[in-house]
Amino acid sequence: MKRVSRWTSRLSAAPSWLVSSLGARLWLRDCDRVGAGARTFSRPNVENLGRITLGSGVRLNSGWAPVELASGPRGSIEIGDKVFINYGSIISAQQHVRIGSNTMIGNYCIVADTETPGIEDPEAAPFADARPVEIGSGAWLAARVTVLPGSRIGDGAVIAAGSIVAGDIPPGCVAGGIPARVLRAK
Amino acid sequence: MTSRSRRWLNGRAQTGADPYLLGKPSIGATPEQLRIGNRFRMASRPVGSHLSVGPGAVLQIGDDVWIGHGAAIASHEHVAIGDGTQIGPFVIIMDSNFHSGAGDQSEQHDCKPVVIGKGCRIGSRVTITRGVRIGDGAQILAGSVVSSDIPAGVCAAGARARIVGRAGEVTSRRYGAAVLLPELLRQTFALQSAPDLEDRELAAADWTDARARDLINAVRQQLGLDLEFETLRGLRSFADIAALVQRMPGARA
Repeated sequence: MKRVSRWTSRLSAAPSWLVSSLGARLWLRDCDRVGAGARTFSRPNVENLGRITLGSGVRLNSGWAPVELASGPRGSIEIGDKVFINYGSIISAQQHVRIGSNTMIGNYCIVADTETPGIEDPEAAPFADARPVEIGSGAWLAARVTVLPGSRIGDGAVIAAGSIVAGDIPPGCVAGGIPARVLRAK
Repeated sequence: MTSRSRRWLNGRAQTGADPYLLGKPSIGATPEQLRIGNRFRMASRPVGSHLSVGPGAVLQIGDDVWIGHGAAIASHEHVAIGDGTQIGPFVIIMDSNFHSGAGDQSEQHDCKPVVIGKGCRIGSRVTITRGVRIGDGAQILAGSVVSSDIPAGVCAAGARARIVGRAGEVTSRRYGAAVLLPELLRQTFALQSAPDLEDRELAAADWTDARARDLINAVRQQLGLDLEFETLRGLRSFADIAALVQRMPGARA
């Protein structure tokens, strides 16, 4: 009985699995590399003037507001395996933004290496103040987190909702506030 | 791209040369009310920005102004943004509270003009309330709430925003100190967890000369700052130490 119900639930999930997998092929076609098994829920915005690479099993949820991936002419975005990004978040690079594997990013987050993300137009002068951003693997950014230019977040760190990260957050800790401080060390 | 931007602004704003809109904003204004300078740039992706101007009011935007996505700018009397000002995402700028008091939902509300100077840098998720004047070249750090005037050339942060230094000198360097200091204090005082900087008194027995020297060494190594022994020894709480470190110029991230 149990086996049957599991089998039917997998069957009923098939259409959404199919739509999100095929959607990823379509909506992420402007990326330089997309790993196997990437899925998108509704349509993300991809504005790739530089380089964007996504690992395998990446999931982007654009349900209520789209996820935006924007790289400028000299920018590169590197997203690892099994990263999940929730709706309304923007990942923007004029220089370099790296997000490690298994990291989860909540809704309405800003991860950008300049202070006005995603706004570059091709003819404009390049950003002078871009500073690379690095997020480790297995980290969790809760809702409405802002990661300012030049920040580094260690592996497995948890950033509380609404925080603004400026500077380095050590691995494995829980951090939060404006600016984010370590609330609980590893 | 410019032509599409023009179409979105047409009939809603007077615009200078080369406007560039990334995504479609929602603009509630007439060309008499909304005056925009040259090379205006605004993002409305992934979250839409809106500019709304009430009857008889004016929203004036100078040359080379950049506005990030999710911005909410409302003018019911007068809002001015100076030339070359950069505004981050999710910023709210309004010259009205949209009601006159708690529980009063009548249409009448008094507005106070908001004036933002030239060459200002407003960080992400900043809220600017009515009647605020921000001087030329001022910098507002991310997440701040500005409810009083900010003079020219300073850097302000917090809710409500207070002056923390000169523009361009503070930014994330000060933040770097704020992030690392609890950990340095934990090591110096051999505590179980990083202390809360806000509410911890220093017991006289704990605060020895040796500890003060350890802390001076740690702060010099980690933050590149030289604390004075006499000044540090005179402090009585973690909050005072944090304030001292954050006041120091040129802290390294």
